[in-house]
Amino acid sequence: MEDILTPETLSDSTNRELPLVEVRDVSMHFRMPGERIDSIKEYFIKLLKGKLHYQKLDVLDHVSFDVHRGESVGILGRNGAGKSTLLRIISGILEPTDGCVVVRGSVVPLLKLGAGFDLNATGRENIFLNGAILGRSKKEMEERYDSIVAFSELGKFMNMPLKNYSSGMLARLGFSIAVDVEPDLLIIDEILAVGDAPFRKKCAKKIASLQENGTTLLLVSHDATQVRNLCKSAIWIKDGKIRLSGEAGTVCDAYIADCSQEK
Amino acid sequence: MKRKYIETVDKKIKAKRSFNTIVSLVIRNVRNQYRNSVLGIVWTVLNPLLFMIVISIVFSMLLKRNSADGLYFPVFILSGLTAFNLFNNSTTTALTSLVNNHGLLTKTRISPEIFPVADVLSAVVNFFFSFIAMCIVMLIFIKKEGVGFHLTMLMAFVPYLPAYILFCCGVSFILSTTYVYFRDIKHIYSVFKKLLYYLTPVFYSFSLIEGHATAKSLLMINPLYHYVTYFRSLVMGQVPSLLSHAIIYAWGIGMFLFGYVIFHFSKKKIPLYI
Repeated sequence: MEDILTPETLSDSTNRELPLVEVRDVSMHFRMPGERIDSIKEYFIKLLKGKLHYQKLDVLDHVSFDVHRGESVGILGRNGAGKSTLLRIISGILEPTDGCVVVRGSVVPLLKLGAGFDLNATGRENIFLNGAILGRSKKEMEERYDSIVAFSELGKFMNMPLKNYSSGMLARLGFSIAVDVEPDLLIIDEILAVGDAPFRKKCAKKIASLQENGTTLLLVSHDATQVRNLCKSAIWIKDGKIRLSGEAGTVCDAYIADCSQEK
Repeated sequence: MKRKYIETVDKKIKAKRSFNTIVSLVIRNVRNQYRNSVLGIVWTVLNPLLFMIVISIVFSMLLKRNSADGLYFPVFILSGLTAFNLFNNSTTTALTSLVNNHGLLTKTRISPEIFPVADVLSAVVNFFFSFIAMCIVMLIFIKKEGVGFHLTMLMAFVPYLPAYILFCCGVSFILSTTYVYFRDIKHIYSVFKKLLYYLTPVFYSFSLIEGHATAKSLLMINPLYHYVTYFRSLVMGQVPSLLSHAIIYAWGIGMFLFGYVIFHFSKKKIPLYI
């Protein structure tokens, strides 16, 4: 395992042969207290009474896989299987308890649409704020502004504060800002069910065009149809372990069979 | 230590991104203060100006003494408040900055340092506005004892402000991290802030406690005392001693490093506890 992570291969981000993402033996444990302790007083009372128990929660258990450039991989699993935690680790938001993740390229995680929206600010201000949070400069955003507004179909509402937007409008604006990039890796966490049918179609088209331009896609869902439509291969996670990985159709069938069995 | 997350992104690009984010957060913070008001941005100067006028009226009527340490009393207070409020505003907003932005912290790749720093810098922007308001008040009272515009006031920007900003950032790092784990700190800190306020000669002059040895030593260990008196001597046209410079930079750099170390070691756990 160590020989894969030698410094030469690490710094070589241009080598297209190497996988874009390497997930090696990643484990994640959460220390879950019996109750949430929010104050120092509570903490010491519990400590003195000897009631400071923690439950160990294994969210991910020795997960390893590679994602190559240009691939689209779906991650399937039921609620609480550890899908989102895995994505957050690959995005670099959480650090795994054990194991290692290597990412050779730029990553844009779309874990929640409109994270960081300021409801009191107008649509226009939020586009710039959100763009800055995603790491883009003001100049870049000025160039992209028109195409973002056009994609969201919200041109009329740009000078309105976001608190007056409907939830569908918010999601549309969030999606439009987020996909207006060409990252090496796009990570999507069950956010495709956005807006009405025509807009959803538009989103699917946008993602397909990103895929054509060489963006690698990592999609998390509990919905097998979505994975089947967008991905070539899939990974099924159950109770923090990889249950099955391979061609999307096969994995989806196995997942659906397992889900119906448990009912 | 073995690295658990390795990515091949240029450090320069990362730094540039953080800078962009900080700038837009500061703009948002300043805008949000006076959003939907008729006068809008004018309030940033008008608000401290009105506040200072109220204080001037109250104190010139209540107190028989017209000056403290050779400076007209309202201006004496205003200069103290302007300096103290930079610390007050920045730490109070930075305290809750991580918790208030938990949506961003747990869902995007933003570095957590950005939030307390953006709050400190927003307070610095407000400091500039208060500074303008203070100058307007000084213009009104230009004939009074010790009031006048001096070149030393430019020293408020360099070398004074960088040291003070470092100090505020350090304290903000410590407070915002602690608040993630223990929400009590908000209440403890609001009391502690009052204590700091009374231990800082904003409303009284240092000569008032000349005789009290304990009070004097308490004041000397209060870093805010040094920052406030430094600023005030600039307003009075005095160049602070070399020792004063050393003290404000020692506190600034020391507090920044201390705060940053604490922040750095707990930052990986922050998304888990928030």
